[in-house]
Amino acid sequence: MYADEPMRPRTMQGRAPDVFTRGGWIPMQLRSDGEEVDFVVIGTGAGGGPLTARLAEKGFSVVAFDAGPYFRPLEEFASDEASQSKLFWTDERIVDGANPLKMGANNSGKAVGGSTVHFAMVSLRFRPEWFRSRTLLGYGADWPLDWREMWTYYAQAEQDLSISGPLSYPWGPKRPRYPYRAHEVNAAGLLLAKGAEAMGYRWSPTPLATVSAPRGNSPPCVYRGFCRVGCSTNAKQSQLVTYIPRAVRAGAEIRDLAMVGRIEVDATGRATGVHYHRDGVWRFQRARNVVVAGYAIETPRLLLNSATDRFPDGLANSSGLVGRYLMTQSNQAVWGEMEEEVRWNKGPPSLALTEHWNYDDRKDFFGGYCWMGQGPLPIEWSSVLTGARGLWGEALRRQMENYNHQIGLKMVGEMLPHLDNRVTLSEEHDQYGLPIPRITYSWTDNDKALIDHGLAQMRTSLELVGARNIFLQKDDTNHLAGTARMGFSRETSVVDADCRSWDIPNLFVCDGSVFPTTGGVNPHLTITAIALRTADRIEALAKRGEL
Amino acid sequence: MDTRSPTGPVAVALAAAGGMTVLGMALSGAGLRRSGRRVAARANAVVGAADRRTAVTAARRLNRASGTLAASVLFDSAVEHYRGGFHNKAMYTPLVAATLSLLVSAHGHRDRGHDAELARDLVYAGAGLAGLLGTGFHVFNVGKKPGGFGWQNLFYSAPLGAPAALCLSGLLGWLSERVRDNAPDTAPLVLGIPAGRVVGAATAAGIIGTVAEAGLLHLRGQFHDPFMLLPVTVPPVAAGFCAAAAFGGAGRPRPLARWMLRASAVIGLSGSAFHAIGVARSMGGWRNWRQNLLDGPPLPAPPAFTGLALAGLAALSLLEDQPE
Repeated sequence: MYADEPMRPRTMQGRAPDVFTRGGWIPMQLRSDGEEVDFVVIGTGAGGGPLTARLAEKGFSVVAFDAGPYFRPLEEFASDEASQSKLFWTDERIVDGANPLKMGANNSGKAVGGSTVHFAMVSLRFRPEWFRSRTLLGYGADWPLDWREMWTYYAQAEQDLSISGPLSYPWGPKRPRYPYRAHEVNAAGLLLAKGAEAMGYRWSPTPLATVSAPRGNSPPCVYRGFCRVGCSTNAKQSQLVTYIPRAVRAGAEIRDLAMVGRIEVDATGRATGVHYHRDGVWRFQRARNVVVAGYAIETPRLLLNSATDRFPDGLANSSGLVGRYLMTQSNQAVWGEMEEEVRWNKGPPSLALTEHWNYDDRKDFFGGYCWMGQGPLPIEWSSVLTGARGLWGEALRRQMENYNHQIGLKMVGEMLPHLDNRVTLSEEHDQYGLPIPRITYSWTDNDKALIDHGLAQMRTSLELVGARNIFLQKDDTNHLAGTARMGFSRETSVVDADCRSWDIPNLFVCDGSVFPTTGGVNPHLTITAIALRTADRIEALAKRGEL
Repeated sequence: MDTRSPTGPVAVALAAAGGMTVLGMALSGAGLRRSGRRVAARANAVVGAADRRTAVTAARRLNRASGTLAASVLFDSAVEHYRGGFHNKAMYTPLVAATLSLLVSAHGHRDRGHDAELARDLVYAGAGLAGLLGTGFHVFNVGKKPGGFGWQNLFYSAPLGAPAALCLSGLLGWLSERVRDNAPDTAPLVLGIPAGRVVGAATAAGIIGTVAEAGLLHLRGQFHDPFMLLPVTVPPVAAGFCAAAAFGGAGRPRPLARWMLRASAVIGLSGSAFHAIGVARSMGGWRNWRQNLLDGPPLPAPPAFTGLALAGLAALSLLEDQPE
């Protein structure tokens, strides 16, 4: 199956692809549209995947929908950047604002497993203070979650995903030993380490969701370096090879290539099911509870598009905050060239990092950031050279010949939540007939100060290891968050600490869109930890008859 | 639900290898009581005078131990240094030293005479020296990397303990010459100390060092398979018994020590089988052997335990024959 071929759903006959064997299948329980299942989960990424697995393992009947295909990594993931763009959500979006977001690659995913199928596997915990950043650090908003409770769910997520990390992590409170050892750090990571040591900062091998030793049927990572366009060996512990097979074995149904367009709400104000588009027709699945896990664009889009007479501004939106406080993370980079060969594409792209500026508050802006070693593949690298550096023709060709000598550092920085950074519905419609989302984004002065600080710091690090021809890439952003923030009250947030909407008691949101602030680390592990907690909370609510 | 255990042929192979290992360890304890009584009877019969044939037998056993370690070092360093592209010419040294040590060990194994051979002594001394130098090189290489002697470099940089196996091969070979080279009707001595005690102590120390190496690398692999615990549990017990025999009373049977040493020898051999399964679990398995033999678990490493166990058994024989 290739992106240019028409794709048909694979999980319609009571079986799902066995990702570990070529052409293999695992049995999967089917539910009929008419059956009122306990839970419908919309989206199977870092939030929907673990939630589906845990709810099914707790005995609930669950149907999980994903708009993307159910891929077979061993057979369908090529060592080819262009072909692998099939993993991205490239449907039309309208972007505007002072700093329009570039949508469709690293900040999206349209596949069973969501963007974890192509993420860089960086699995970091929040700094504890970030859960109370308004009270303790003076910016953003407090989370209704306690960091100590999150610490236990982080540990569970790290176990489930067999995170490979260092025996002792240099920052933050004590945490249990990572389930697997950190990977060998490649030359690009060692140069980050050298630079950090020269600046007096600590550094660490990055905790990654790719195994350094066999795990079940996953082989250890072979350092192929194509992580960000899909792992063809299954070493990467994406949702597709971890929670999704668990979910299927526990009795959940995964509906691939099924786009949910609308949540139905009855006269009493409870959700009753979802309208979804699959195999050319619109269908309706009945459900007792609905969980939206579509990430920061699709989640508000679906809630807004499900407006009724009773909820004219969209579901769960009495606060007016659905779609608001959209956040991305600054992903600026500094690039340079070494005399010696580096071969930065060998291994996962971010094998080493420093979180120094996430834990050092001696700075004149809010928020923190980390930076990581880099290893972009050739097409991505050429787009940096043409975009950020403006090279073309002969100059571009000559620069590309230096590929094996390039090094780079890229930051993941905390951008502050702002009411006017938001997702709304446009007047235009897409291939499903659904309104296309409009994504409005502008950097705040604080964001710009953080970026300037990060660029200067990373530049110093490269200079200290003797890099030449240093240049800055000033415009990149990556992960998304916000748009359905969790909080302490129905006036100031969309969902409560249990990810349950204040307005509709059987409607939940469980993905990165519940983040009130986004922190200076990659969000995936936090999303997974929240999903694991939500599953436990739902079980507790059900036992008390409060579901 | 647990998705951590492999399924299919890998699970079957692991179960089979595990079963064979446990069976082998159990069988290696069979017949020990009987042979123990025989040893005791023999020792009583020749009170005060060591059997000279025992010395040669023990010496040849030590040749085999030295040769086993040399073979392990030869193949292991060949694979690992090839993986490192022999970027430093000195990386050929262990191949040469281990090959020579293997050859003279074979020679010693065939030699039933009572005299040390200068050529064997020279080669064994050279192997010991090469092992020491190798350790120095590896320590230097780890120390200069970012992170120094932190876990990350202990796991992935030049292994600090590996060249010591070459040292041990040289040391055991040299000891075999000393055991062999004794005047008739005297107890074999090494530097004036009863040979069994010297060999026993050296073996115990060697086993502990090898356990540390296996422990470090199995920790790197997160003991992801329970059988990975075997080399860090049974050999230390064997080393303990071996040390107890080396420093304890002589002239009596030590059936438990023998059993644990034999079990360690079994683990050394089955370790290679387990590592072969590990290679199969890497991406592409044995079809991709050219990559996975280099990056997977090292096939030649575990038999180092077998070599050391042979040395321990030689020490026990010497000690059993040694007058109180």
